[in-house]
Amino acid sequence: TMKSGSEEEEEGEEELGALKWKEGLQQKASEAFLRQQAAIPNLRKLVYGSVVAANNSEDEEEEELGGLFTVSRPQKSKRFQADAMDCCRFSPDSSHNWDLDEMLNSIRDCFVTGKWEEGTDAA
Amino acid sequence: MASHGLDYDGCNFFRQRLVLSTLSGKRVRIKNIRSKDDNPGLRDFEASFIRLLDKVTNGSRIEINQTGTVLFYQPGLLFGGSVEHDCNTQRSIGYYLEALLMLAPFMKTSLKATLKGVTNDHIDPTVDVLKSTALPLMKQFGIDGEGFDLKVVKRGMAPGGGGEVVFTCPTRRTMRPVQLTDPGKIKRIRGVAYSVRVSPQMANRIVDTARSVLNKFIPDIYIYTDHMKGANSGKSPGFGLTLVAETLNGSFLSAEMSSTPQGQGDPMLPEDLGMNCAKLLLEEVYRGGCVDSSNQSLALLLMTLGQQDVSKVLLGPLSPYTIEFLRHIRDFFQIMFKIEVQKPSEDERKGGDKVLMTCVGVGYSNINKTLK
Repeated sequence: TMKSGSEEEEEGEEELGALKWKEGLQQKASEAFLRQQAAIPNLRKLVYGSVVAANNSEDEEEEELGGLFTVSRPQKSKRFQADAMDCCRFSPDSSHNWDLDEMLNSIRDCFVTGKWEEGTDAA
Repeated sequence: MASHGLDYDGCNFFRQRLVLSTLSGKRVRIKNIRSKDDNPGLRDFEASFIRLLDKVTNGSRIEINQTGTVLFYQPGLLFGGSVEHDCNTQRSIGYYLEALLMLAPFMKTSLKATLKGVTNDHIDPTVDVLKSTALPLMKQFGIDGEGFDLKVVKRGMAPGGGGEVVFTCPTRRTMRPVQLTDPGKIKRIRGVAYSVRVSPQMANRIVDTARSVLNKFIPDIYIYTDHMKGANSGKSPGFGLTLVAETLNGSFLSAEMSSTPQGQGDPMLPEDLGMNCAKLLLEEVYRGGCVDSSNQSLALLLMTLGQQDVSKVLLGPLSPYTIEFLRHIRDFFQIMFKIEVQKPSEDERKGGDKVLMTCVGVGYSNINKTLK
């Protein structure tokens, strides 16, 4: 197979030099696809898909110490989440520092005082 | 109506389970409520919530085991009418009101609920913020008219409470499908700085620092100061701020902050509170969308119960509470949303990623509603 591969390459170089961009096209496409997949998390999967996984991890992990005591880690278990506080508040992203101009600038166009898209008018 | 029930574990998402059970007519059993806790079972505020649910329905069957760790609920008909309820002060009236907002349009007779307790605390959305965000949102779905109002009669801060609100809501046979895909730009910011049983000057100090942050964006800011006195000031001292950004297309984004309840942790300076609350509003603007982050589930519920037509709503990132709500909607109504992430383009300065939610309503119609 090595031989045939190199033969093809030779042919390509000799006769179809202009079509060199075709090389690895499939690989490039699949890389681009994977990049995109990684960038956009599949929200639908996150919302509707994880229930099965959560049920699987139901069996609570309990380490035994000296065959007498079991280590209970309530903070980590699913139980803790199930009994957490019922509240709709959405705590803010801690990485956002609203003292920085950079952050302030990131929302400028949400206001009427910001830049308007073409074809729209402040009036 | 389906007769088979649904089983859940733990006390989290308590209200959404009972609300969806009531609307769908499906029985629900919640097991292992704080079963590993030193103090197992339902808390007083949850019992208070169940009593409120019992008051607005007719023929509900509620069974709780001796330790309070298992709850069985078979919903009755949503009746409505005039209801008075002492909301347990472990949670603010907002906790109870959020559920009533979801149920009220589907009652047999229009609801007039007088709720007493804590109007403002630092955990749940306060009555002020629900009044200025949830009510306009519900209007988009066709719930409006003269009888649609939320009035703060007395203000009562945590932990003592002593506040009172009156919520009135007309009934609707069907929900109007909506297309809320573009919030438009923010044209003004309104707010209420309230204070009770402290110097009225506190409210002014809050307003000054909040304005100093928000003035960098927009000049049209008006923050009312509300100082209730005497019998209308409740049992505990406190102060706080709610801010609402209103867009050209009629969306409302809000942020709020209340002072630390008396005797619980370090007190907060009004200047810091004003500044931090303004920053919370910027965070909410960054998230964006047509619906405020604390009202996401209300919008999704009204979309689900809409007529059999396509509804679209643009939201900011989904909160963990909303994600669970979507799963519960699937359990109770077999509706799954189409969820699309919208990234802002490079040259746009409009905050973070948005999420476009699309669904076809179940064609829910309020069979309880009396014909006139």
